[in-house]
Amino acid sequence: MFLLPALAYVLFAFAIPVGYNLLLSFEQTSPATISHLTAPFAGLSNYTTTLHDPIAQSAIVRTFSFTVLSLLFQFIIGFALALLFNLKFPLRRFARSLILVPWLLPLLVTGVIFKFLFQLQAGAVNQILLDLHLVHQPVGFEVSPGWAYLTVLITNIWIGVPFFTVLLYSALQDVPAELMEAARIDGAGAWQRLTRVTLPIIRPVIEVVFVLGFVFTVKVFDVVIGLTNGGPANSTQLIATWAYNLSFQEFDYGAGAALNTVLLIIALIAAPLYIWLNRDSLRGGSA
Amino acid sequence: MKAATRRRVISVAASLAALAALAVLLFPLYAVIVASFETNSQLFGASYYSFFPAQFTLENYRVVLSQQGSHVVSSLIVALGTALLTLAVAVPAAHALARYRFRVTALLVGSLLVAQILPSIVIANTLFLVYHRLHLLNSYPGLIIADASYAIPFGILVLRAFMLSLPKDVLSAARVDGATEWRAFIRIVLPMSRSAIITVALFAFLNGWGDFIFALTMLNGNTFEPVTLSIYTYIGEFSQNWGEAMALAVFAVLPAAMLLVAAQRYIAAGLTVGSVKG
Repeated sequence: MFLLPALAYVLFAFAIPVGYNLLLSFEQTSPATISHLTAPFAGLSNYTTTLHDPIAQSAIVRTFSFTVLSLLFQFIIGFALALLFNLKFPLRRFARSLILVPWLLPLLVTGVIFKFLFQLQAGAVNQILLDLHLVHQPVGFEVSPGWAYLTVLITNIWIGVPFFTVLLYSALQDVPAELMEAARIDGAGAWQRLTRVTLPIIRPVIEVVFVLGFVFTVKVFDVVIGLTNGGPANSTQLIATWAYNLSFQEFDYGAGAALNTVLLIIALIAAPLYIWLNRDSLRGGSA
Repeated sequence: MKAATRRRVISVAASLAALAALAVLLFPLYAVIVASFETNSQLFGASYYSFFPAQFTLENYRVVLSQQGSHVVSSLIVALGTALLTLAVAVPAAHALARYRFRVTALLVGSLLVAQILPSIVIANTLFLVYHRLHLLNSYPGLIIADASYAIPFGILVLRAFMLSLPKDVLSAARVDGATEWRAFIRIVLPMSRSAIITVALFAFLNGWGDFIFALTMLNGNTFEPVTLSIYTYIGEFSQNWGEAMALAVFAVLPAAMLLVAAQRYIAAGLTVGSVKG
């Protein structure tokens, strides 16, 4: 009885959407079919048309590169900050709480804020670059395709760093001090202590952070919409934003569903890993 | 003596590094707050960006308060509704999954883990069509149900993990004393799980408050509009009206900032239990 609401919810908000998405992806939809739940069967045509479309193809490739680069830099920066906060200094509690802020903002708002910062005319980032004499004239961050991709990437890294920092920091806290001391006495240098002692101990947490990071980077949507709307010239479209475009701008729900299936498959790559990392909780918790 | 000096040097260097990192991470927020007090001619008419503007105006806030107040209220309704729905569904389910071992427990917990992974756009695409049939588009219940799609699996998993760690004898004793399952749940499980419940409620609230994708796909703006959607329409329509857009952004980030100050330990707890954000 306690489970009934949850079962109903899972059915309505997860099982039905996934099943219906599959069904839709094989149907010939049009604005006229919206009022019916089903449309004529279309075979694989949604998949073949969508996947042959160069914009969809580059959105898929871009989603991969975007995810890999985001995770890489989020990890490097987040780990560096976690090591920093692991040192003892007066400001660390204060700094550690403030660092959470970027993580908690509505993602769309973050996108809009960075759109403002990266403006061509009178943009803060351009002003900093000009003041430091790194550039001689303002960079068209939002108007040139390559720069726009970089701008979205930087924004997404900014959002994810607190998450990496907080989780890696709490893992570092659990590394036994005696173990580090013993390694020091045995003559291990700082680098050796990091790679031989710290990293192996916190490896489980690193795995969790990467899997979770992957899961929410492949579906990035709000940030792109707020910052570039997928432009200029579709140069920042990711799978999620292009699927949105197909369904809700071109009203081709079947094509959108086909691309969504691709996104679903990519996201579900993480599922076995995620379940495996949570294997203890599946067993009913020996804790 | 040498070790003490070394520790001092490290402490000072670390403080400086932390301040530099904070400056980079928090500069965007500083810029938003400053811009919200500036006029458009300062922001857009100027050929350069000024880090410390000479003049301030309250005009943006006046405009935003008079035009956007209802959107802030809408966001609050959606966020509170998401938190309430999440608790109503997740707390009993977590209790059942923690207390009893059903044959389907592993399957159900596994599917909740998978549910957390599902991209919102997949859910939005199909729920839009389902809602169209059920006349749930442009309605609070419809949006709240969709917005809870991240918080509910997250909530069940976090609460269940917490409830598993509670001492079992207390509950068994209550049952022996004749308390019904329901009474034991209300009188014992709920109070003992208070901190985990607060964490889940906070995350659900922030998810509902920050949702954009479901608002974008399921609302046409004729009935109500949360703040995220209105900021998006704002920069679409008045792309040069940054002062007002930034004042609205201040309202949009306010709950996160206030919760961080008031309930930091619950938020940090939620993150480390293995949280994700939709």
